[in-house]
Amino acid sequence: MSELTLLVLQLGFLLLLWVFIFAIVYALRSDLFGQRVRKLQTDGTGATPPGGFAAAPVKAAAAAGGAGAAGAAGAAASGSSDSPSKLVITSGQKAGTEFPLGRDEITIGRSSDSAIIIRDDYTSTHHARMMLWNGRWMIQDLDSTNGTFLDGARVTAPVPIPLGATIKVGATTFELRR
Amino acid sequence: MSDTDATGRISTSSPVTPPAPTATPPDGMRRIRMPQRLRNLEFWLLLMACFINASAIVLVQLGALGRIDTQLVLLGAGLSVLVFGLHIVMRFVARDADPFLLPIATVLNGLGIAQIYRIDIAFGDSGWESASVRQIAWSAIAIIAAIGTMLLIRNHRVLFRYTYLSGLIAIVLLLLPLVPGLGQEINGARVWISFGSFATFQPGEIAKIALAVFFAGYLVRNRDSLSMVGTKFLGMRFPRARDLGPLLIVWALSMAVIVFQRDLGTALLYFGLFLVMLYVATSRLSWVVLGLSLFLAGALIASQTLDYVHARFENWLVPFSDARYDADPGGSYQLVQGLFGLANGGLIGTGWGRGSPDITPVPQSDYIIASLGEELGLAGLFAIFALYVLLVARGFRIGFAGQDDFGKLLGVGLAFVVALQVFIVVGGVTRVIPLTGLTTPFLAAGGSSLIANWIIVALLLRLSDTVRNHPRLVIDG
Repeated sequence: MSELTLLVLQLGFLLLLWVFIFAIVYALRSDLFGQRVRKLQTDGTGATPPGGFAAAPVKAAAAAGGAGAAGAAGAAASGSSDSPSKLVITSGQKAGTEFPLGRDEITIGRSSDSAIIIRDDYTSTHHARMMLWNGRWMIQDLDSTNGTFLDGARVTAPVPIPLGATIKVGATTFELRR
Repeated sequence: MSDTDATGRISTSSPVTPPAPTATPPDGMRRIRMPQRLRNLEFWLLLMACFINASAIVLVQLGALGRIDTQLVLLGAGLSVLVFGLHIVMRFVARDADPFLLPIATVLNGLGIAQIYRIDIAFGDSGWESASVRQIAWSAIAIIAAIGTMLLIRNHRVLFRYTYLSGLIAIVLLLLPLVPGLGQEINGARVWISFGSFATFQPGEIAKIALAVFFAGYLVRNRDSLSMVGTKFLGMRFPRARDLGPLLIVWALSMAVIVFQRDLGTALLYFGLFLVMLYVATSRLSWVVLGLSLFLAGALIASQTLDYVHARFENWLVPFSDARYDADPGGSYQLVQGLFGLANGGLIGTGWGRGSPDITPVPQSDYIIASLGEELGLAGLFAIFALYVLLVARGFRIGFAGQDDFGKLLGVGLAFVVALQVFIVVGGVTRVIPLTGLTTPFLAAGGSSLIANWIIVALLLRLSDTVRNHPRLVIDG
């Protein structure tokens, strides 16, 4: 085996290794640069891509720290016929669509991490979230630019959601039903 | 742009993506059999990964032997079969798991095997005596352990229930090497346990997984008191004295590792893991400041009082002095030879099998980075680092996208422990920080490290599957 052949083979191997890396990077490009939004952004603060390892959502979640465990226990304990089982979109693009409510928190926003992804001009990347707290569904606004409205009133602190109350996020409204 | 992104969500064809096949779909939702796009992507990346691994072994043989020996290629092929086995298992039990983790881990593992094989050729080892054959056997065990983890843990939240049990397991694993008769001292560090003469095991490697689970569960339960209260000082909110308990306990634990097990790297790894998870859980910089100053104070005291730590610091600061270079136990000979090896490699390396990494002591485990750097050069070493960056970034991403706090913390912790370990090893070899004996994840020869890291990959895969299994609704305005 001549020196030249070995050198060419070595270069070929290094090239192959880098091709592999760039194949992975190409496949996850939408994770790196964020998802393309259909319309032009008017919402300046929400334009940050969902990538980037931010501690903020974790910090926000700290407010309800342990809510997952406590809420789950509460839900199991209450379990009455009053608890909502689904979320129904009442106006907007997907009016009439139902979304099952489990026991996990539901995040709403334009980010692809959200459970309910609303891509319109008025929704922030991490807009709001709903979580089960002692058996009741609560909604919390995550400092969204255009706000979250419960029966027409802007949500500033986490509030419980009554059955049938209208929640408005961007151009979409929805309510909880049994 | 295609209608799916890397997270595999379909945004145009159906308004609601179906939930996990195991969950019964609620009324009004259609169950659609989706093509497994993520798994298909993984399949092609895996094919490429196995091709890279096979060509690495063939190139080693061409470079070092000048001919192709089919025996080890066949053994490597057996490993590829196992990796594809894991892939097929995931098609059934974790359809939505991240498609990049498995191929990246496969390539890293394969590059490690090729380099260890090359060192074996230099040392003239073959058969069960050779580290490469044992490494292949350990890899097989590790991948089977990963498959077992995937099958056993169907939901990561099960681990939340065993928070304190895993804390206990971690402590027991850490103490095992200190048990007389069971523990074994190699090169001064007492971190191994031996089963007769045939195998040694480093329980500390498995302990890091148990610790990550424990820290995640503990912090989710208790972070309110750690993050909410305290007095403000110098623009940072410092915790109350009585909330310092956990930090001090983990600090004492890592100091005990330094003193009794004489293992600097492991101590740094555990303490760094705890600090980062504490920071992510509370988002308070004061914890990091407090923790780092505690650790630096501890390390400084250790460097003054403990001989072996002092020697490490000296080797780091003045490796080229004759006195340090010639000092027999604990001199800087290894460090300097590693640096010479890296320099010999240059930009594109000497070529597989054509350098002389065997001059450096233990070139197949602690110094595998220097060996790879010599034969693959800067270009190859940076490719390896890029693979680690991608692996860790996927882990952070999985943590970031998680729905529950425990999953978020666990994902970040597991990914960070890999990142920190790579930093400690590579930093030590390249003289950025004092050299400490830790294994390079996936690359270095050593069974316990391989098993631990493959289990970490399996846990991250499981987490990413749960994250994406959540029912989702996409509304395009």
